[in-house]
Amino acid sequence: MADIAVQRIKKELKEVIESDEIQRCNIFVELADDDYQDLRGKIAGPSDTPYEGGTFHLEIKIPKSYPFKPPKVKFLTRIWHPNISSATGAICLDILQDEWAASMTLRTVLLSLQALLAAAEPDDPQDEMVARQYRNNYPLFFKTAQYWTYFHAGGENSNSEFTEKVQSLKDMGVSDTRALIALSSCNWEMLQAVEEIFS
Amino acid sequence: MDSEEEYIYESDSGNESSENDGIGLEFDSDEGVGGAGGAIGKYKDLDEYPFEVLSTEEITKHMIDCIKEVNNVVNIPITTTRILLNHFRWDKEKLMERFYDGDQESLFHEAHVISPYKTPKQQTKDVSKSTGMEECDICLLKMPSAMMTGIECGHRFCTSCWTDYLTTKIMDEGMGQTISCAAHGCVILVDDQTVMKLLKDSKVKLKYQHLITKSFVECNRLLRWCPYPDCSYIVKVQYPDARPVICRCRNVFCFSCGENWHDPVKCNLLRRWIKKCDDDSETSNWIAANTKECPKCKVTIEKDGGCNHMVCKSLSCKADFCWVCLGPWEPHGSSWYSCNRYDEFEAKQARDAQEKSRASLQRYLFYCNRYMNHMQSLKFEHKLYASVKEKMEEMQQHNMSWIEVQFLKKAVDILCECRQTLMYTYVFAYYLRKNNQSVIFEDNQRDLETATETLSEYLERDITQENLADIKQKVQDKYRYCDQRRRKLLEHVHEGYDKDWWDYSDP
Ligand SMILES: [Zn+2]
Ligand SMILES: [Zn+2]
Ligand SMILES: [Zn+2]
Ligand SMILES: [Zn+2]
Ligand SMILES: [Zn+2]
Ligand SMILES: [Zn+2]
Repeated sequence: MADIAVQRIKKELKEVIESDEIQRCNIFVELADDDYQDLRGKIAGPSDTPYEGGTFHLEIKIPKSYPFKPPKVKFLTRIWHPNISSATGAICLDILQDEWAASMTLRTVLLSLQALLAAAEPDDPQDEMVARQYRNNYPLFFKTAQYWTYFHAGGENSNSEFTEKVQSLKDMGVSDTRALIALSSCNWEMLQAVEEIFS
Repeated sequence: MDSEEEYIYESDSGNESSENDGIGLEFDSDEGVGGAGGAIGKYKDLDEYPFEVLSTEEITKHMIDCIKEVNNVVNIPITTTRILLNHFRWDKEKLMERFYDGDQESLFHEAHVISPYKTPKQQTKDVSKSTGMEECDICLLKMPSAMMTGIECGHRFCTSCWTDYLTTKIMDEGMGQTISCAAHGCVILVDDQTVMKLLKDSKVKLKYQHLITKSFVECNRLLRWCPYPDCSYIVKVQYPDARPVICRCRNVFCFSCGENWHDPVKCNLLRRWIKKCDDDSETSNWIAANTKECPKCKVTIEKDGGCNHMVCKSLSCKADFCWVCLGPWEPHGSSWYSCNRYDEFEAKQARDAQEKSRASLQRYLFYCNRYMNHMQSLKFEHKLYASVKEKMEEMQQHNMSWIEVQFLKKAVDILCECRQTLMYTYVFAYYLRKNNQSVIFEDNQRDLETATETLSEYLERDITQENLADIKQKVQDKYRYCDQRRRKLLEHVHEGYDKDWWDYSDP
């Protein structure tokens, strides 16, 4: 690791920890190892969104040439969002790619991700399946995203209909995460989901 | 490129006329214009195609001359002229036209430079008056103002962060002419003088200069690097075309695509073929794992994250496209259905391809074997020349004149030409759809192949004093025949291009 990268990460960790943002916005970042290359982040789902009440964990990899190259960030917590892959957690966000600038910090990244949760950009989708649902049936998208928040991120808003459907698939020997993905991407149509899983 | 770091500033010194003359004339007469030099003579069946070969130093001069020429007319800093020229892909006329016809402010804006007519922005950042300290937004350290610097846009960072920033751009991302300011969202380009001033490591400086030259050559339709490994000469033509040119290293290549001269197959088919051969297996075509070609500029791009929104890394391209369908990214928001539709289409193609793959693999192997075979034989070219040279010397000791033994070298020349032509006929044939003309083509190909192999046997056979007269006649007859058949084959294919005989398929 270059000196400047380590020096920056040290400063940045302090910046996030010392700021009142931990309380105010609920963002958090810590080291995952000692050499400043692997970090873990946490953001709280913003209120008035289907992510409210959830805590989303992030993997943050610091490249050697940081801050001249952007950190590589992905969601460890599964999330239903047009700009985040429901399968891998990969994120489509300009500042993590071409729009990165050396003067940005982890704090800016976490706040931008939180903003992304509050305002999806379905016109620039990472997960086309989710984006399609978002555009064609927003109420169903909202309920699905909320259920994912409950299921994966510790949110409080369960949904008995969805739970039942997941359970029926589990009874057929399907893992619950697999069941959730299939149902969500088939707009919660049981038959379609079954077909997708077993075809 | 050689040592002179100051080449970039060289343009400040006068002495224009002599430099101007240097490039154009010297090499026209020395290297000769197409067709005059050695190996190109092999291809004299082609029309004249004028070109010259330049070294990187000469290209640098040429580049500086271009800048000077413009600067003699427009009165702006040399660094700005360079950025503007690069913006117009070094098309002086286009630049001049825009400079005098259009709105200059929008021109500067478009080219990502600050107008030289504006008075430079004073940096307004919070300098602590009492201490004279400023904070650098990159390393987050406070330091004396004297250690902070920036370009015309007014953004300031400490010199050591600038150096690191530029080094990353140059060494990791291979950027030269198009490095922008380090501030977020600032598109103003860092000029070459500033870059050279801020770089410390001579290796990085050298790479930067190389990148500048490289982008100059790549932007310029009339220039092409010699593709031979480690060769650093550049060929300059008067108009771009798919024609053979020869470098000072004696490499003969197609000016249009940079491959070895490949008549009768056309550049686009050859590129398709080479890509196919580079792929590990037939089916991997469909799975195209981690790299794809930029749909706009064909540069190979590696996928480095999960996001399907790709941006081409090539300096001059920067196209936005979708990894899945390779379509432009822009419509993906509003009509991502098209991307999905492509998925289905692609999946169907993949299925069909698998069914066909067994049959098509055999077909492919047939052509590939023959292609590789001639390529392999060509690789022994020098060996053959060496052994023939030996034979020629031996003969001269046996009372034959230098003139009398030249037929042997000529025979090897023709043998190599024939092999090269044959090699590319298999690429052509692979994509060719059967019709009456393709049957004639295949007859020609078979004929040439048989004759070429016979000639090859003659040359490898021991030539002794006794059978010399006899063998000389045979060799001469055979190479004349080969040469004639080769021309015939090429003429036929070219005629087909003119008369639109050839249909292609993608097996
Ligand atoms: Zn700094
Ligand atoms: Zn700037
Ligand atoms: Zn060369
Ligand atoms: Zn070509
Ligand atoms: Zn490109
Ligand atoms: Zn697409």
